[in-house]
Amino acid sequence: MGTTVTHAPATEGLSKDERSEPRHGPAEAPSPAALKRRGRRENLAGYLFMSPWIAGFLLLTAGPMIASLYFAFTDYNLFDAPKWIGLDNFSEMFADPRWRHSVRVTLWYVVVGTPLKLLLALGVALLLAQKRRGQAFYRAAFYAPSLIGASVSIAIVWKAIFSDDAIVDRTQKIFGIDVGGWTGDPEMIIYSLVALTVWQFGAPMVIFLAGLKQVPRELYEAAEVDGAGKWRRFWNITLPMISPVLFFNVLLETIHSFQIFSSAYIVGGGAGGNACGPADGSMVYTCYLYVQGFENSRMGLASAMAWLLLVAVALVTAVLFWSQKRWVHYEEGA
Amino acid sequence: MQQNRNVERRTVLKAAGASLAVAGLGATVTACGGDSGAGDGTVTIRYAWWGAEDRAERIKKSIALFEKKYPKIKVKTDFQPYLDFWKKFNTQASGGNPPDVFQNAIGFLRKYDAKNVLLDLGPQVEAGNLSLDGFRAGLEKFGEVDGKLLGIPVGSNSMALVIDKPVYTKSGVKPEQGWTWDDFDAAMKKIRDKAGRAGDSGMYGVMYLYDLYLRQNGKAFFTEDGLGFTEADLKAWWSKAEKGIEEGLYADPKKVAQIKPKSAVAAELAAGEFTWDNFTVRYTSEGKSEYGLAPIPTTDGKKTGQYLGSLMLSASKRTQHPKEVAQFINFMVHEPEVAKIMGYDRGVPATQAQYDAFQPTDPVNKAIAEYEESLVAAGVLEPITPHPNGADICEAAFLRIGEELGLGTRTVDDAVKQFFTESKTALGT
Repeated sequence: MGTTVTHAPATEGLSKDERSEPRHGPAEAPSPAALKRRGRRENLAGYLFMSPWIAGFLLLTAGPMIASLYFAFTDYNLFDAPKWIGLDNFSEMFADPRWRHSVRVTLWYVVVGTPLKLLLALGVALLLAQKRRGQAFYRAAFYAPSLIGASVSIAIVWKAIFSDDAIVDRTQKIFGIDVGGWTGDPEMIIYSLVALTVWQFGAPMVIFLAGLKQVPRELYEAAEVDGAGKWRRFWNITLPMISPVLFFNVLLETIHSFQIFSSAYIVGGGAGGNACGPADGSMVYTCYLYVQGFENSRMGLASAMAWLLLVAVALVTAVLFWSQKRWVHYEEGA
Repeated sequence: MQQNRNVERRTVLKAAGASLAVAGLGATVTACGGDSGAGDGTVTIRYAWWGAEDRAERIKKSIALFEKKYPKIKVKTDFQPYLDFWKKFNTQASGGNPPDVFQNAIGFLRKYDAKNVLLDLGPQVEAGNLSLDGFRAGLEKFGEVDGKLLGIPVGSNSMALVIDKPVYTKSGVKPEQGWTWDDFDAAMKKIRDKAGRAGDSGMYGVMYLYDLYLRQNGKAFFTEDGLGFTEADLKAWWSKAEKGIEEGLYADPKKVAQIKPKSAVAAELAAGEFTWDNFTVRYTSEGKSEYGLAPIPTTDGKKTGQYLGSLMLSASKRTQHPKEVAQFINFMVHEPEVAKIMGYDRGVPATQAQYDAFQPTDPVNKAIAEYEESLVAAGVLEPITPHPNGADICEAAFLRIGEELGLGTRTVDDAVKQFFTESKTALGT
């Protein structure tokens, strides 16, 4: 009993001629049949290892997506069987002023928030790209908000910062601006959301930093010799050289902005009261989608809204890809 | 020796494996069987309700009492704040897994009956598991819809004007049963001028108050399948609201929105608020002042349009244990000890036995008891008007659009139009 074998020898299960060969490295070609067998075996193992992912994809992604596509054309209240109504959900959406309002709020948020965030990310990345003392600390400090930023707790903190008689309100009052907190004001609440996303500029900043490191030093040296100033070097060297990275960031952040939900939901009310801010002031698209689906039990309509969002984001992405020919420079042969 | 130890180890491993398997099996049985429970006849029922920590403590104590009396029934609880409660309930119910018994309110009876979610408790009454004796003021009829018994009231409450007492005294306003809306408007001006505070926190969005006002004028917010008032009615109501905000009679809606979920009265933004009488308890814990109850203003000096509202307990149609659920509801509404634990947390107890068991000693609960007794004495209570399927969405829309009006993002005409559009969709009319 003392010699319990815990691991099967590595060669077990291989054909005879394989057993004499080292597993890697040059070998005489094995017979086609053995190859086939090994290939099938390896495929099987591969599929086996992938199976949790495949099952997850089919059950949790593909299945629900197909179901949701079907629901988008039905009247479905969660309780009764879905009733096919064709395109009625879509025509109802376009006729609904609340829906149009949510589209406007979302577009405004994307158009104002995304460029601001990228500008700040690029600016700070330019500062941090230079060698200076405590560089690692600064990078970590600026990146930290992005790490914790997606969490619900930050949104709650944000709400506390921007509400009535909180720190922002009091600071405003010092300067003689008495307009109250931002979260109770239908005009101002969206600015607090923009501030939240801009504050989380760390992720694009890190990508910009990586891009800046790739710009060859010789280009700057050559430009300097030719008498180019700081701005000139930035416009004519840095920007074109990091344009692929810029493109990537623009794409990613735009898509992210369209999908804003949790921060809007929590800052705008969350538990108790109107979930979309005072007078729908922070009612972004996904917020209204949630209200229709879970508060009004209109899953069919909510599904239709979700698919429309998907199509809209796909279109915006396509336009961005089309536009890159004009402003994104890839190095030859790279 | 060596061999022996190995054998021993193997046995131990085997035993461990076996017990693991058994435990796993046990877990599976519990998980799948869910409520069915173990073989010894013990049954577990799930009870969901909305509310806060304070209510949780009281309910926990009540359940401990119940489990002592019915050792074969275990109760598992689950609670959320009001809005989150219904989201979760919707999801669970549509997935075929609603709680066995849950807190309910009038606005949801027809909605969930139409969706086939609610159990008719009538047969349980006939079987003797649930008693309808001893309810106050005809409350046992409260949860009846189309001949089906869909909910059992646990407590009753009534709309009231909760006031900041010192502010009212300072302004020299003494509200009395039978005061009119003109008296009320004059009082608002007095409070603004003498105490420097808005008189009300924003009554234009309180659906239940508007309902009383309509009933005073021979109408109602809801009929059995739709709205019981016209666009012109609502326009008059909201026009008055707009004017009141401009004149500083009602609190600045921006400020009210900021301090949510705290109430405007407790935050000293307004001297009063129309709400359910038992909310006085909450304001007292939130605010620094002394709070009291004033009667609802009337149109003709007599009729307030008031009725008793109530929290109810309803059961799921899919429950595996209708008998145990009925026994649980019966215990919660009749057991005197439960009333001592719960107090007026869910309104004044619905049954006479529980009403007698809890004698409030603190001024706030005493005031609530006095207020409800004064309503009975004044004879203003009427039967409630039914709420149609979709009423909950209408209420949410009324609240939201009322707020938008207050915040100035909508004109009165626009707000009225929007409310009627959304309500028609919700009510399917």
